[in-house]
Amino acid sequence: MSPQNFTFMFYGFTVAWLIIIGYVISIALRERRLRQELDRVKRMVEENEQANTRRQ
Amino acid sequence: MRFLRQTLAIAAKDLRSEIRGKEAVNASVSFALVILLLFSFAFDLEPAEIRDIAGGLLWLIFAFAGTLILNRSFARELVNDCLDALLASPVSGAQLFFGKCIANYVLIVIVECISLPVFVIFYNVVPQRLALLFLVMLLGTWGITVIGTMFSAMTVNLRLRELMLPTLIYPMLIPALIGAIELSRVLITGVPLAESLFWFRVLVAFNVIFTILALALVEIVLVG
Amino acid sequence: MRLKIIVTLSVLAGAILAWNLHRIFLQVPDEASQGAIFRIIYFHVPAAITSFTGFYIGMFSGVGYLIRKDLRLDSIAASINEVSLAFATITICTGSIWGRIIWGIWWTWDARLTSYFVCLLIYFGYFMLRRAIDDPTTRARLSAVLSIFACVDIVLVWKSIEWFRTQHPGPVLEIRGGGGMAPGMEAPLWWNFLALLMLATALVLIRTRQEGMRREIDALRRHAHAF
Repeated sequence: MSPQNFTFMFYGFTVAWLIIIGYVISIALRERRLRQELDRVKRMVEENEQANTRRQ
Repeated sequence: MRFLRQTLAIAAKDLRSEIRGKEAVNASVSFALVILLLFSFAFDLEPAEIRDIAGGLLWLIFAFAGTLILNRSFARELVNDCLDALLASPVSGAQLFFGKCIANYVLIVIVECISLPVFVIFYNVVPQRLALLFLVMLLGTWGITVIGTMFSAMTVNLRLRELMLPTLIYPMLIPALIGAIELSRVLITGVPLAESLFWFRVLVAFNVIFTILALALVEIVLVG
Repeated sequence: MRLKIIVTLSVLAGAILAWNLHRIFLQVPDEASQGAIFRIIYFHVPAAITSFTGFYIGMFSGVGYLIRKDLRLDSIAASINEVSLAFATITICTGSIWGRIIWGIWWTWDARLTSYFVCLLIYFGYFMLRRAIDDPTTRARLSAVLSIFACVDIVLVWKSIEWFRTQHPGPVLEIRGGGGMAPGMEAPLWWNFLALLMLATALVLIRTRQEGMRREIDALRRHAHAF
C-alpha cells in the first residue's frame, strides 16, 4: 500500500470538505446580502410612509 | 373524436404556415449540412471506423437540427399575441401541445429524410436494413419532439429562449438518443439485431412515458 | 426555535463526522485490493444517497406547490434541490479522485459517474430556468414541472447508460468492493450518511429561510412602489 494512495485519499477528503465549506460560505454571504437588502427596503418603506403622512 | 379533430386542425395550421414560409425547414436543413461538413474536418477516419460512429453522427445531426424547428414551435405564436388567443380558444392545452408536436414531428422527419441521403453520400455509408432504420428514425424523433415541444412551451416567455432550450433538453434526451444511436449503429454496421432489441423497448418506453407526462402537465405550464 | 434546530443539527452532524473520521482513519483496516483510497467511499456513497434523496424530496415539494399553490413549498423545493446539487458535486469529485487512483485517469465514462454528470446538468438547467423567470408564481410552476420531468428522466438515464456500458464495457467504479464489506467496515458508512443527512437538513432550513426573506423583500418592494 503506497504513500501515493494516502496522498490521494487526503486530496479526496480535502475536496469534499472544501466543497461543503465553500457552499456554507456562499450561503452565509447570501444571508448577509439579503439582510442588507431587507433593511434597505424596510427603510425605504418607512420613508415613504412618513412622506405620505406628512403630505396628509 | 373532437380531441383528435381539433388537434389535427392545430397541426395543419402549423404545417401550412411552415410550408408557405419554409423558414424553419430551410434553416434546419442548412444547419444539418453545415454540421455534416464540420464533421468531415473533425473526424478523418477509415471507412470501417466511420460506419462504427455513423449512428452517433447521424443522431447528433438530427438532434441539433431538430432544435431549430422546436425553438420556433411556440415562439412563432408570440407575435401579435397569437399564443394568448390560442389559449383563450376552446382548444385545450393538451390539444394545442399535441397538435404542435405532430407538426414538429412531420417537419423534423422531413429534415431527416433530406439529411440521411446526403449523409450516405458524403460518408460512403450504405445502410442495409433501410426499413428498420426508418423505423428507428421515427421512434427516436418522436422522443425528441415530445420533450422539445414541452420545453419550448416552458421557455416561450423567457428572454434567453434560444440558449435555454438546448441546454435543458439534451440531458433529458439521453435515453432516447442512446437507444437511437445504438440501434442505428447496429443497423448500419450489419451486426445482428437480436442483442440490441432492448433498445427498441427503451425508445418505446421513453416515448410513452414522456408523451403521457407531457400531456398531463402541459396545461399547468401554458395556463397555470 | 428554528435557529435552535439548525444549530443543534449542525453541531450533531459535525460531532458525528469528527468522531467518524477518527474511526475511519485509525480503526478500519485497509481494503485488500484498493488500499487507503478505499476510505473515500465513506464520503462518496453517503453524499450520493443524500443528493439523490434530496432531488426526489424536492420533486415532491414541487408537486406539493402545484397542488396547494403555497410559495413556501416552492422555496423548500428550490433549497432542497440546491443542497442536493452541492452534494452531487461532492459525489462526482470524490468519484473522480477515486478513479484517478484506481485507473490512473481523472475521468471515465462509467455508468455511475456519467449518470451523475447528467443529473448535475439537468439541475444546472433547473437553476438557470429559475434565474431567468422574474415572476415568483410562474417560476414556482415551471420549476416544479421541470423537476418532475427531471426525476422521471433520471431513472431512465441511469438504466440506459448502465445498459450502454454493459455493451461497451469500460472501467467500473466498483463500490460494493467485490462481495460486500466486512461488518466492521460498514458501520462508519451509515453514521456518515446520518451526519450528511443532518447537515443537509440544516442547510436546507437555512436556505428556505433565505428564500422567505427574498419573498419578504419582493413584497415590501411592491408595497413601497405602490404608494
